Amino acid sequence: MRIVIAGAGEVGTHLARMLANDNHEIILIDTEELRLRPIDSSLDLLTYHGSATSVNILRDTIGKKTDLFIAVAHSEDTNITSAILAKRLGAEKTFARIDNMEYLEKGTSEFFFSLGIDNMIFPEYIAAQEVLGLLHVTGTTEFMEFSGGKLMLYVQKLEENAPILNRSLQEIAESFKTHQYRAVAIKRNERTIIPRGSEQFQAGDLAFVVSTPEGIDEMMLFSGKENFEAKRIMILGGSRIGKHVASQMQKESEVKLIDIDRDKCQILADTLENTLVINGDGRNVELLEEEGITRMDAFVAVTGNSETNILSCLLAKKLGVKRTIAEVENMEYISLAENTGIDTIINKKISAASRIFMHTTNPNITEIKCMTGTDAEALEFLVPEGAMITTAPLRDIGFPKDALVGGGIRDDKPFIATGDTHIMANDRVVIFALPSAMKKLSKFFE
Amino acid sequence: MINIRTVLRVFGALLMLESVAMALALLVSFIYSEKHSFHLFLSVAITFFSGFVLHSAFRNDEITIARREGYIIVTGSWVLFSLFGTLPFLLTGSISSFTDAFFETMSGFTTTGASILSDIESMPHSILFWRSITQWMGGMGIIVLSLAIIGEIKIGNFQLFAAEVPGVTKDKLHPKLKETAKRLWAIYVVFTSSETILLVAGGMSLFDAVCHSFTTMATGGYSTKNASIAAFESPYIHAVITLFMFLAGINFALAYFALKGNFKKILNNDEFRFYGKICITFTVIVSAVLWLRNGYSPLNSIIYGSFQVISIITTTGFATANYELWGSFLLMVIFLLMFTGGSTGSTGGGIKMLRLLILTRNSRQELHRLLHPNAVLPVRINGKAILPTLINNVLAFVVLYFLVTGISIAIISLMGYDIQTSFGAVAASLGNIGPGIGDVGPVENYSHFPVFGKLYLSFLMLVGRLELFTVLILFTGSFYKS
Repeated sequence: MRIVIAGAGEVGTHLARMLANDNHEIILIDTEELRLRPIDSSLDLLTYHGSATSVNILRDTIGKKTDLFIAVAHSEDTNITSAILAKRLGAEKTFARIDNMEYLEKGTSEFFFSLGIDNMIFPEYIAAQEVLGLLHVTGTTEFMEFSGGKLMLYVQKLEENAPILNRSLQEIAESFKTHQYRAVAIKRNERTIIPRGSEQFQAGDLAFVVSTPEGIDEMMLFSGKENFEAKRIMILGGSRIGKHVASQMQKESEVKLIDIDRDKCQILADTLENTLVINGDGRNVELLEEEGITRMDAFVAVTGNSETNILSCLLAKKLGVKRTIAEVENMEYISLAENTGIDTIINKKISAASRIFMHTTNPNITEIKCMTGTDAEALEFLVPEGAMITTAPLRDIGFPKDALVGGGIRDDKPFIATGDTHIMANDRVVIFALPSAMKKLSKFFE
Repeated sequence: MINIRTVLRVFGALLMLESVAMALALLVSFIYSEKHSFHLFLSVAITFFSGFVLHSAFRNDEITIARREGYIIVTGSWVLFSLFGTLPFLLTGSISSFTDAFFETMSGFTTTGASILSDIESMPHSILFWRSITQWMGGMGIIVLSLAIIGEIKIGNFQLFAAEVPGVTKDKLHPKLKETAKRLWAIYVVFTSSETILLVAGGMSLFDAVCHSFTTMATGGYSTKNASIAAFESPYIHAVITLFMFLAGINFALAYFALKGNFKKILNNDEFRFYGKICITFTVIVSAVLWLRNGYSPLNSIIYGSFQVISIITTTGFATANYELWGSFLLMVIFLLMFTGGSTGSTGGGIKMLRLLILTRNSRQELHRLLHPNAVLPVRINGKAILPTLINNVLAFVVLYFLVTGISIAIISLMGYDIQTSFGAVAASLGNIGPGIGDVGPVENYSHFPVFGKLYLSFLMLVGRLELFTVLILFTGSFYKS
């Protein structure tokens, strides 16, 4: 696949890194030569120094056939212009990164489609949606729905009090009769492992569990967590993410939003009717205590500063807030922050990149999610007729060891997979895979 | 730390590739039904088997090539190729001493073309062919070849490419490096076969034509004749070889666009124009002196003048005349040209045109700055300002180049050689030219050097071919600290 990425900012670079090692031809355009040089010398791709709105440069880079044109520069205007130009110059599918809610509204997106922009990506909106999801499903670190919620992937952080500690997967499976959920991966000490039956859970593990909706409560119980309603929420940072989360949550919960910038607070207070907007520094403990942080159910830190977000979440955790979510944009900090006890780390670059990444994969992949703390991916495949995976039960088909079928949906009913499960055509299967397995996987679905 | 298993696995794959090239020499020995075919077969077998064992021993290891592994693989594989490349010479008895054989092979792969053989014509065809093909492989590069035809290295391949391909910036012709490497080799093959056809049309035997095309396009300079190109008296052959030496000194990325019909790109390229100007200017100077002072006929002075100027600028090192008899002015000109080299991204050695161009323009700007101390004066190449870090890199390269030259001259003169020979041998080895001045001139050879001298000059050839940094970094302490 030939992919042109316009803009070597954080999203563009992250995407290029994700895609470069597959068999894609990638061209990365940016106006800053200094930004391109380190990428050019470390990845198998072509960099192009120049403006992505220049017709000559677009002609050169798009060439005879380009499958995907992704405009992810900093400026929305540049992205819209270059995506429209690229489409006219022959790019098959175009993406533009935007930072304006209005463009995503019904009717407007069709208008942009007619102009030549096939997909619009609003990273802050995607991140805000993720935060909203996590505020409703409060017992988990990260989660994802497949086939409209018929099957879920939960990421559970196992604390010292989790009942399943020091028990192997085998023992746990034998202790109940309903097979409603299954652990598909464990992240331990920076490594992601695909567990076998004898693997034991340890404190501090992140367990990735595929579950049916019926299994969730039992699964939560076993991992020592429970879902609770987030009635009181404190948001730090009136960024686009913060604003969007507040505007949605204020309908059902009591929301306090803190921002350091007085002018910004004025505007926020104007638009957010049912939110209490507070002007102050989120690192100030007295202020937080004054505003009743100890009584909060959830604390969301989404300022533009990753350090502030991490530190304030740690503080909130210490003061007894059950659910803490921090936006961390420095990739280097993610692992570090996860080990400190913050419940969930969100990163808008990874979220946005994985949305786009989906379009570059096998057409049988109907859903994909890149996890924040690991480079593994959860994928939903639609099984075509006569695919290799349908030839025998899972334990006999030589499935790669670095991937695992967690479950699937057959005739609208979810099931959890075991070694004896025989996958059939037209099933949707949910697979958890390490990066090393990605290539091997596609042959099972051909 | 350095992943030695990856390095060994890649070495294994590369050795198998070398055995394929050796097998071509074996084929030649069958064609001429030479009596030592078995010995050549033995060299192929040993090389292939060593590669196979190394490769399969580490087959299950993940390939992880970071910067350090990249430099080790590139420098190491050139040394390894030269070590195994001695087998055909040693086993067939064509060259009896290991040092001589190593010198000859290293001189081949690095496209230097310096030889220790005094009677080249007495060598069997297969050995002459092997000498030529080492140059041909080394010209475009062992790593570039392996990237083009074996899919062994997928991750980190750019590290290798950048460490081997000469030049200031590395041009990619295609988003995928494998495709870039394929295209480079395709142009190389097209040029080489066109030259072969033209030489055969001029009356050269097919064998000689193939061997000379290999060594012209690689800017190598190995000939199958004792007298080099002077053995062929036809002015047509001299002209064809002059033309192809000139082509081999062009950046192959530009040649690719030219072959695709985009002539604007090559004609507007600063480095190409500079290269053209230098070639023409010096051809005019040398031809004029040959005509007016040395009594050559006007036609001959152009034919001999242009041939020698382009042969030295592109670092090929073919000779049609003994330039040492041309008088001290022309000898001085030839000696200075030994430092220029061809374009970046060509098969030539030396400092290279783009670096000289950047330095000249930078110096001009510095002069300008004396009058306008606060002016912002970018150095422009192809109409674009280049980054200051690039200028620093070029400056560091040239300083290192002359530092290595100076130290090496002192070392060679310690062995008892006169100043001319020391200067000549060092400039010709480091610049991958071959014949120098003094006792290593176009009608002499390198056999009179002591063992250490030969090994040291081989080292210089490698340093020159891999453009200093790739080899010299292995001698820095920080390379081995994690």
